[in-house]
Parts: sequence; structure tokens; C-alpha cells
Amino acid sequence: MNNGDTHRNGNGVSLPTVNGGTGSPGDTSRRDFLKVLGVAGAGAAAASCGPPDMGDKLIPYLVPPEDIVPGTNVSYATILTEAGGPEPLGIHATVRDGRVIKLEGNPRFPNGGRLSALAQSALQDLYDPDRIQGPRIRDGSEFTETDWDAAIAALAGAISPGRTVLLTSPRTGSAAEFYSAWAEEVGAEWIAWEPLGYEALSAAHEIAFGVPGMPQYEINQADRIVSFGADFLGSWLSPVEFAARYNEARRIESGRHAKFTVVGPRLSLTGLNADEWIAARPGTEAAIALALAGAVARVRGGAAANRLTGPLARFTPEAVAETSGIAAERIVRLADDLAAAERPIVLPPDVSGQNAAATETHLAVALLNFACGAIGTTVRPGEGPVRGESASAAQMRALVGRMEAGAIDTIVVAGANPVYGLPKAMGFSAAFAGIENRISLNCHMDETAAACDLLLPSNHELESWGDAEIRPGIWAVAQPVMQPVFDTRQREDVLLAATAVGGDTPFESPDWKSWLETSWRASFEEASEGQANFDDFWFVMLQAGAVRRAQSEVDPNPPLSAAGADLSFRLPEPAEGLTLTTYAPAQFYDGRGANRSWMQELPDAVTKAVWNSWVEIHPETAAPLGLETGDLVEVRTSAGSVTAAAFLYEGIRPDTIAIPIGQGHTEFGRSAKSRGVNALDLLDGAVDPQSGALAFSGVPAELTAVGERGRLVILQGNDTDLDREIGELLPIDDALEAIGGHRVDLRQILETAWDSDPKSPYRWGMAIDLNACTGCGACVTACYAENNIPTVGEDLCHQGREMSWMQIMRYFEETEDGGFQTVRVPVLCQHCGDAPCEPVCPVYAAYHNPEGLNAQVYNRCVGTRYCANNCPYKVRRFNWFTYEQPYPMNLQLNPDVTVRQTGVMEKCTFCVQRINRAKLDAKDQGRHVQDGEIQTACMQTCPTQAIVFGNLKDPESAVSRVAKGARAYRMLDELNTRPAITYLAGVSHAALAEGGHGSHGDEQHDETGGSADDHGSADEAGH
Amino acid sequence: MATAEIDVPVEALPTLEQANDDISRPIYSPSWRYYLLLAICGLGILAGGAAWLNQIRNGIGMAGINNPVSWGVYIVTFVFWVGIAHSGTLISAVLYLVRSGWRTTINRAAEAMTIFAVMTAGLFPLIHLGRVWYFYYLVPYPSTRLIWPNFRSPLVWDMFAIGTYFTISLVFWYLGLIPDLAILRDKFTGVKKKIYGTFALGWQGSVKDWSHYRRLYLYLAGIATPLVLSVHSVVSWDFAMGIVPGWHSTIFAPYFVAGAIFSGIAMVITIMIPLRWAFGLEKYITKYHFDNMSKLLLFTSLIVGYAYALEFFLAWWVNDPVEKESFAWRATGYYALPFWIMVFCNVVVPMSLWFKRTRNNLAALFAVTIFVNIGMWYERFVIIVTSLAHEFEPGGWGIYVPTTTEILILIGSFAWFFFWFLLFSRTLPVISIAEVKEHLAHEHEHGH
Repeated sequence: MNNGDTHRNGNGVSLPTVNGGTGSPGDTSRRDFLKVLGVAGAGAAAASCGPPDMGDKLIPYLVPPEDIVPGTNVSYATILTEAGGPEPLGIHATVRDGRVIKLEGNPRFPNGGRLSALAQSALQDLYDPDRIQGPRIRDGSEFTETDWDAAIAALAGAISPGRTVLLTSPRTGSAAEFYSAWAEEVGAEWIAWEPLGYEALSAAHEIAFGVPGMPQYEINQADRIVSFGADFLGSWLSPVEFAARYNEARRIESGRHAKFTVVGPRLSLTGLNADEWIAARPGTEAAIALALAGAVARVRGGAAANRLTGPLARFTPEAVAETSGIAAERIVRLADDLAAAERPIVLPPDVSGQNAAATETHLAVALLNFACGAIGTTVRPGEGPVRGESASAAQMRALVGRMEAGAIDTIVVAGANPVYGLPKAMGFSAAFAGIENRISLNCHMDETAAACDLLLPSNHELESWGDAEIRPGIWAVAQPVMQPVFDTRQREDVLLAATAVGGDTPFESPDWKSWLETSWRASFEEASEGQANFDDFWFVMLQAGAVRRAQSEVDPNPPLSAAGADLSFRLPEPAEGLTLTTYAPAQFYDGRGANRSWMQELPDAVTKAVWNSWVEIHPETAAPLGLETGDLVEVRTSAGSVTAAAFLYEGIRPDTIAIPIGQGHTEFGRSAKSRGVNALDLLDGAVDPQSGALAFSGVPAELTAVGERGRLVILQGNDTDLDREIGELLPIDDALEAIGGHRVDLRQILETAWDSDPKSPYRWGMAIDLNACTGCGACVTACYAENNIPTVGEDLCHQGREMSWMQIMRYFEETEDGGFQTVRVPVLCQHCGDAPCEPVCPVYAAYHNPEGLNAQVYNRCVGTRYCANNCPYKVRRFNWFTYEQPYPMNLQLNPDVTVRQTGVMEKCTFCVQRINRAKLDAKDQGRHVQDGEIQTACMQTCPTQAIVFGNLKDPESAVSRVAKGARAYRMLDELNTRPAITYLAGVSHAALAEGGHGSHGDEQHDETGGSADDHGSADEAGH
Repeated sequence: MATAEIDVPVEALPTLEQANDDISRPIYSPSWRYYLLLAICGLGILAGGAAWLNQIRNGIGMAGINNPVSWGVYIVTFVFWVGIAHSGTLISAVLYLVRSGWRTTINRAAEAMTIFAVMTAGLFPLIHLGRVWYFYYLVPYPSTRLIWPNFRSPLVWDMFAIGTYFTISLVFWYLGLIPDLAILRDKFTGVKKKIYGTFALGWQGSVKDWSHYRRLYLYLAGIATPLVLSVHSVVSWDFAMGIVPGWHSTIFAPYFVAGAIFSGIAMVITIMIPLRWAFGLEKYITKYHFDNMSKLLLFTSLIVGYAYALEFFLAWWVNDPVEKESFAWRATGYYALPFWIMVFCNVVVPMSLWFKRTRNNLAALFAVTIFVNIGMWYERFVIIVTSLAHEFEPGGWGIYVPTTTEILILIGSFAWFFFWFLLFSRTLPVISIAEVKEHLAHEHEHGH
């Protein structure tokens, strides 16, 4: 199994290479080699019966492939470039009988075998019942079915050379070559665009170092981390990889724990992980970074000082203090910290800090990194993720201008959703309506597709061939892991077919797959000089998922570009009064996650709210308006206004309000449509003049109370744990002192017959490191996917009927200076040795199995719910109804896990199906299950490996060793429930208030008149 | 005999023949009002039944219960009706054993009430089940899978306790009915005579009959008496055996028993006052009876009030932060209103019974008992719901609000109860004729 291996080279990829890689599966073990099938398996899947039969065949093969045993899982390596979040992710897709049922990370990729919540939910993207199910043509306000030949002919007929635009999301690898070649051939213009672009970061690094593109952030090497607001653990650039790296920098057992400071107006998911918050006024991040850079350069001296101290002289801490609202001594202290650190790292803002001076802000941060000596060590310009060409907001505005001027007849949209993703103020959707031929090759019925006249739906990327350059020189390949669910086609094949209408295609390759192979064959033969067999290589490569195709030619340690760097900053004055910032939440990113019910029902990491939008407001700002969490507020900017529920949040500055991006869809499907508000509608379309990037923050806004209660469903009952030994935080000094120490706990050592059958070789247990848990929610979504957990929708969540087997509680704890820290606690069934739920069940549905599992027998359960009452952890979930999965969602159900019906209690099983599979394997081989052989779904996907699972009876198992650590404690231990889960206390650099586990949340609780502990805290009807 | 206190001159006492007629008159002449009431109750049953069927069809989620608060109106109402069921046995068995003669005119109705209340209560564990079609898993039947119920579970104890109570109560009630059934047999002709005759088991009123009857009655009273304590103790253990703060307390058994007697007596009074008026039984059920029952009500109110205070005292004294928080929230949090309704109805209002004027004013007494009935329903609501809503894990706290389905079923349960009681009141003598005559004979003989 691919666990525990965080071994990574510079860019986090361990791969076979093109030139030396044939026949060598790298570090692939025999097991993996067999498990991860290549093209043969996928080809067999593609050759089977047609799409309409997907649902009613148990085993959808006419001729079963030889290497697939019915009823067993096989894995295919592929990549997610669109559905998984900001970064391309290497995945292993688990396929059972021709249907993909689970996604897990590919350990060879930068995501290290882990996935985010958004990537886990890509399955729901694939099986989305609201996808466009075949070619459609507009008939009035409706679409009618058409056939592919007619649709392709219509597409071909609509392309007029010179007056056609092909609009896609940014592409790399062969796809980029293809699109540009295709556009050139038909005389179209290819524009790649993404809503949350990284153009300012790229532009700033080009100015500073002459190296465009994304830098590689080696957070794992840092001993001091400062972020200007990037939500790098949630939604920024490469969050899964960053989470693992961040965790490495703070793994206290290694003796180091890099202090993490956030500078900015709001605490995001990442911000809640910080040890320190410097609540700078929005728009002053650049000034602070420059002040820090100047101060650090002065302390450190050397080349950086020579270059920087002059131009930055006017950014003294004192001068900056005035505009930023941050005391000069605080800036100086932080500068001293950075100067003293051996390997500091400074991370830039994400869109939530992207204002009309975005490039200057990124440049300021780049200079600060340069001043700290981070460039070339912890920050490596140009070595980061390859993002592909992307049009900036300014370029999109220019496109709108041309559309309005009538210079464009045809727009072919293929994988972009500008009608939703561009602010209304930029006028795209209005101009788009005036285009003669509007053609969509999108996979989903999103806003842009719905505005088109001709729909040629593409395969989902899990049904597609493709490749991508994920790091400079490193290419990953995508293969279809199952045949298309609907009557859709590979996007590139449709485009190729359009060129072949009425004659031969001008291209050498008749279809996309051969194009892809041709491209790879060329580079392979060049590299291997014809020595090796391409087919062998291709097979191995499909199993590995990615290869190094060319050596990176990036200078790892570029000098500060003397010529290019214009260091005369013309920072605009930050806006006076209340300003709005929008941000990308991890569960929706730019809105692509909104039609996945797993994402809608995943509690937001900050607010713990589900299924809606909200406006984050500081209590001080809310007080004069008489606002409580859940009250409706109207936010008005020059571009428009929206009305949403308020969320009172102390992690935001009083002069700032924040609204998440991603909701407020007008199309896109049942989960997304007409839900929440689209924060982008509030943006006035201002752009950063240097990079053309859109200003997502610093927008002057007015806030008025509507005077009504809205409904904001918050799935956490209370914001503090009331010091009940649930979420524990340790001060860093205590934690460092305790390293290597052991906790003497007789109860843990003396395993009793309560816990498990003394004759059983196993007692399954888990350890969860709260120092590592970032609260990203990947485990929660993985659990939904693995265990057939239904989503129940907003109304039932409001009634407290969510089904999630694990929930990440976010508890606030007060610090001495009046601020707060949070600790994020995954709460799931504790599989107690002496479980309170077991004796109260009148029918033995809840019982203790010989291996210490607290089992639930669904068939036996009559639904008295006494067990749920008696569970002190409140982790049991009752099926109040039978929750049906609409076709084809039901194809995702894991056949190894019972689908529950109404009236039955359920809860975490420790993935008993995985335990049983491992036990069967072990039995076949006449041995016991080995440590690490079983990975629960939550553990498997956790980007920071916060979760360890194993056999508590084996003193050498990872879980036993971790559970004896000095930070270990058991939740609500005084109840003597003897939980099988051990938590390791979180570690914080902040001075925690004595015994004062948070009056912070209490206050909020009181303010809202006891309604903060209400599942539907904000609904009048609920009271 | 305490009958000396009856405020009625001997010459006003009915004759034995009159007693026969007075008490059995309702059986002959049901009025349109009776049928109207019966129809209203029937409608209530239909409404509740439809709500239940709809719930079975769609899922138990039609009720408002949710993740932290898994038990709601159904269990509240279950405990409420079990509590109501208490006074019957208390009045008939315990007062019989201690020779409290004033029970004579009320024991029949109280026992009937017990039976119907248990019949009502018994529905709720079924209504409450997530999969009611598998209810028989709770029964120790010889399953081919050799699985029995889990005898460690208080729910199983509960089933046995209530089953036993129902059986004994039914037998005891029926035994008491036998001489009266014989009277009715003798008064009627035709089919009715046959039916009453069958159930009268050939009663002849001979000395031998009476001698066996009185002995069996005494023994059954002896068997039934411990049940007064056991049933509600066991019901209380449904809660006390749980670890939920607010439930896990050793005072629960006596607390619940006192509460049950309290609510049972209140319901007896609530029913007897209109019944006495409707059937013209003023001569038999007198202020004396109501005065005695009021005193019992006052006494149990004091116990219940003490228990409320004690719960808070213990939370403070034990100094367990979870328990303290739970109780503080109970009195001040989201459910403060139900809590204070409970205190007002069960502790404050019954204090008016210290005054004889209240006890003898039937309208006022009726009002007090209505308050107590409401208050005792809320007591169970407060205990069950507020405790579950604020348990150990603050992140898991939540709020429960009953739904229409639950309200309809609650109303339906009252309709069901009164439906049976109405049927009873027109088919069987609501007062034990035999016992009344025994007393009257005694009075006529001895005067004051």
C-alpha cells in the first residue's frame, strides 16, 4: 500500500523518466503494479456495451476483460485537471465492474497520494444527473435532442475564419498544442481563461526575477512561515501539496515547529491554523511587506540590503503603521523574526487579497522573500505548478469589447464558464447573448452552456484521454477510467471531427488519442534515441501516471532582476470605510464544486455553515446594526447588491466584510441552482493595471440590515469545547519539552476484555494528530464517497439530520492578548471499549465485535435511537428517511458497503469493509494483517496524514506508538468509555489564556441568545 | 371508616335500589352529546392514525427529532401516559390495603383510566420506532437465529414492566367488575344479558362467591401494590441508566413515581368532575372525595417540587461542569419557557390547594388539575429534550422542535384515550355498584 511515504524530491514528484524509464516501474511495488492497471484495462472498459445500458447491467461487459475479476476493485492512474481544484492532481481511480467508485491520490504526484475534499467529490461531477446527456440544439427556450453528426456539422458550419473564438480553461501539455494548432487551422482565436487566475503572481515574479510562472513554495523546509492571506491549505495554487509540506514544517516530533503568522484582514481556513494574526487593513499588505523587506534587509545586510534599502526607504514601519493599522513595533518584531529565521518563507495573498494593485503586492512579497534569503531555498521561482496561458480579466474585457463591436460571429466554449465567472459589471453575459453562434462543448449545463444554442457535451475528464504538464518538464497523462456515463464525446475529438466535415481532416491524427500518442511517441523516440519500445513505455507510464519528459531549465536561484525591477511602488491609498473581500472557499473553489451535494453539505471550515452563502462580519461592525448570525443583510457596492445571512466572525477586521465565491448559480444543476448569492456580482470589474488581474477585494461596500431572519444552517452546536477535554491545545514550549516523553496510562496499557476479545489478535484503533489537522474536510468527503453516506439537503441539515459520519469541529480558544486560536477536531465514532451505546440497544444491533469494533448491525436495528442518546460524542447518525440517489449517482455507491434504509442507525465503522478485505488477503497468505495494510478512507486522503489507523494490540504498530505519545489524550476520558481513538493535542505558539478555553465562542453563543448552538441557528421557523 | 366525614345526612343517602339505577342509568340512555364526543374522539384517532401511517410510509423523519435530540414528543407522551396510568393502581390497590374507604366511588373510573392510559402509552414505543415493522425483535420469541433481546437494555425492562402492569391492572379491574356485571346481567334482557352474563362468570352473590372474591381481591391488591413503585421506577431507568447529563441521577425512580402519582391523581380529578356532572353522580362522588384527592395532589406536588430543586442542588453540589451547564441551560436557555411552564404548573399552581376553599371549589380544582396535566407533560419534555439537546460534546448540541405529525399523534393519543373511556362510561358502571351498596348498607344501618 502507498501509505506513509512522504519522501519527495524538489518538486514533489517521484517518477520514471522518459529517457530511462522504459520497463522500469520506478519504485512501484509488485502489488501496485498489479493493482494499477494501464491501458489494457481501460481499453476493455471502453470496448464494452453502450452508454444507455450503464444502469441495468450488474457487470457491464459483453466480453469480460481477462485481467478483471468481477467483484474486485481495480485502480487506474489518471489526473484531475479541472474537477479537483486549482491544481492538477494525480489520482488512482478505484473501478469496480466498470464503474469508478472512489478516487484516491497517486503517491507519485505532488499531492502525495492525498486528495482534497473537492477532488474527492469529482465523482459527483462525473455522475452528476444534471450533466448534458447528449448533443442538444436550442428550440426556443428549451433544448431538443439532436444527433452527433448533425451537431458536429452545425459546429463546423458555424466556424468562420477570423471571427471565431475558442474559449477554454487553461491547458498545458499536448492539449495546449492541440488547441493552438486547431485554432490556427480553422482560423479561430484560442483564449484560455480561468476565473481565479494567478496572473499577478506570475507577473510579479517576472518583474522581480525575470522568471514568469508559479514559484515552487517549499514550505516544508521553512522554519518561519508568514502568509499575506493565501489560503494555501484550502484553495490556493496547490493546497493538497502545501498542506503536506506545511505539516512537515510543523511536525513537532521532528523537533521543529515553524511559527506561522498571517497578515491580512481575514482569517481563512489557513488563517485559522495560524499562531498569530496581524489584522492588517485590506490593501496595505504591500506596504507591510515592503516595510518588512526593508527592515529585514537592513538587519541581514549583504546584496539584498544594497539593492533594497534605498528604494524601500520610505516604507518605514512607522510610516506603514499609520495606513495599515498595525503598530510599528509589531512590524519590527515580525521583521526581526524573519531576519533571524534560517529558512523563512513568505506567501503572497490569494484572490481575497487581490486588489487593483495586485502585481505590486505580489512584487512586494517577492522582494520580502528575496530580502529574507528565501528565493532559491524555500521559494524557487518558476519551478512551481505549470498553469498554462490564461487570459487576464483585462483581456477578457477586451474580448467583451470586440464582442460588443460585432467583430465575433462564433464563440465555442470548451471547458470555461465565463457567464458565471466574470463579474456582471464586465458585461460578458450581455455581450455573449448578442453573438450569432454560441456553441458549448462544456460537460455540465452551466450558465455558459445554458446561454448557448448548440451543445456538444464533452466527456468528463474521468472519461477522457489527455495529458498535462504539472511541473516544468513533468508531464502527467490522463486515461479514461470508465466508459462515458452519458452520450458524450471527447472534446478534442469533436473539434477534430468538425475540421473533417465535408472532407478529410487536415490533421495527421484522425482522433485525439492518436494525436496524444503521436505527441508522446515523438518525444519518447527523441529521448530514447529509438532504443526502447514505445508500447512498453506507454503501458508503464499509464500505470505511473506521469513522467519527466524534459529537464527543467529554470535557474533555481535567480538574481533580483536589476533591469526589470521597477521598485518605485505607487501604492494606491486603501479605500476608506467598509470594504468587501471575496474569497474562494475550499469546497467550491471558483464555483465548480457547487453542484456537488458532498461539497454543499461539507461544513465550511470557517463558519461550519452548509448549503448557502453568508456575509462574514465582525461583531463590532454588526453591533450597531443589531445583527446576529443568521440575520439577513444587504451588501451594496457600485456594481450591485446581494442579500445574504450574516455570520458574526472575530477573524475578520471590523472594516472588512467577506463573502465566499462559488454560490449563486443560475444554472448548473439541482444542488447549485438558485442557492446563495454570487459574490462576483458585487465586483466592479476593476483590474490591476500591470497584470490585468481582477480586483476581488478592497471594493467599497455598504452594509444594511434587512431586518429579517435568514436561514444559515450551521452544523456545529457551539464554538468552544467549554474546556471538556475535546479539543486540546498545548503551548509550544510544553509540546517541545514533551517530545519523546511517554504518557503513563494504565487504562491504555491494560487492555481488557471490554475492549476486545482477548483471543483476537487485533483491536483496531486510531490516532488523530490535532497539530496536523488543518480542518480542510477531505476526510469527511472521502468518508461520504467510501461509505455510501447520503446527503440530505439544506432543510434536513437545518433539522439536524446530516449524515456525515465524521465532522470536524472547529473550537476557539482564547489567548492571553484577547485574541484566539482554533483547534480543529475530527469527531467520529470512538469505538469505545466500554461503549455506552451498546448495552442500551434492546435488540443487539449495536454490539462489540471481537476486534474491538463497535459494530452496528443495520438489519437488526429497529430504530429506538437510544444508542444515539447515550453516545457522549454525538457521532451516531440516524436515517430519518430513505435517501435515494438519483441515477446515475447510484453508480458511485460502493458495493462493499450496505446502503441503509429509513429507520436505521449508522455511524463510522472504521471502514470495516477495508478491514475485512485486508483480513481476507492476510488469511489467503496465512499471516496476520500487517501494520499499515489497512487504511481507512479518511486516513488515506488526509493531506497532512493527521490520522493513523492500526492494531492497538501490536505494540509496534504506528497507532500504538503514536497513542503513547506525550500529547496523547482521549476525548471525554473521565467517562471511562475507553475510546479506541487517541487524539494528540494541537500545538500553538500563542500564549493561551489560563484555563480560559474560550469565552470567545461563549460570547457569541450568548449574543445570539442561545441560538448559536442551534443547528439551524438562524432560522426563525426553527425557533 | 372515614365515611363519617361525609357531609350528607343519612336521609339523603340513596337507597340500594336507587344506587343500582343511578349508577347504571348511563348505560341505558346515551344522549346525542355522547355520540358527538365519541365522533370527535374518532376524528382525533383518525387524524393521529393518518399521521402515523404517513410517518410509516415516509420515514420517522416526519417527526421533528434529530441527531442530538433523538427522543421527542413520542417518548414524552409515552412517559406522560404511563404516569397517568399510575393513580388507578394506587387508588384501587394501595388505598384498598390501607382501608381508605373514600376510594370506593372513584376506583372503578381510576382503574379504567389506568388501563386506557397504558393502552395509549403502549402505542408510543411503536410509533417512535424507526422500523416499526420489526417491533417483534424486542420480544423474546424463539428466533431461528437464536437472538434474544438484550436484557441489559432498560428498554427491554420497560417492556416487561409495562406488560406486567397492564396485565395485573386488567385482571384487577375485571375482578372488581364481576359483581357489577352480574347486576347488569340481571337488569338487561336479550343479547346484552348474554354478553354481561358471560363476563359475569355465573356470579350469584352467594356468601361463598363473596368470600372467594374478597380473598382474591385482597391478594391481587397485594400483588399490584409493588407495581405502583416498579413501573415508573423502571420507566425512569430508561433515562437514569443513560449517561446523559440531566438523566443520569439516582433520584430518578422516586422522582418519577411521585410525578406519576401526581399526574395520575390530577387526571382522575380532571375526568371525575365532568363525569360526575354528566351522569348526575353528585350523591356518590362528593366533595369529600375531591378534598382527599386534592390533598394527595398537594402532597405529591411538594415531592415533585422538591425533586426539581434537588436536581439543581445536586448539579451544583457535585460540581460537574457538564451537569452544571446542562441545568443552567435548562432554566435559562432555548427551552427556558417549557421549564418555567413546568415549574409554574406543577409547583406554583398546586400550592393553592393548601386552601380548603380551592379544594372544595370544583371549578377551581378542575383548573388546577388541567395545569398539572399540562405541567406534567412539560416535565417529561424538559427532562428528555433539554438533556439531550445539551450533552457532553458542545459541537454536537442542537435544537428540537416538534412537527405537525407529532402534534397530530399527540392529539390522537388523547382522542384514543377518551374514546375508550367514553365507551367504558356507557357500557360499564363507572362506580363500583357493589362497593357503593356495601357502604350505603353500612351507613343506613349505623347512621352517624
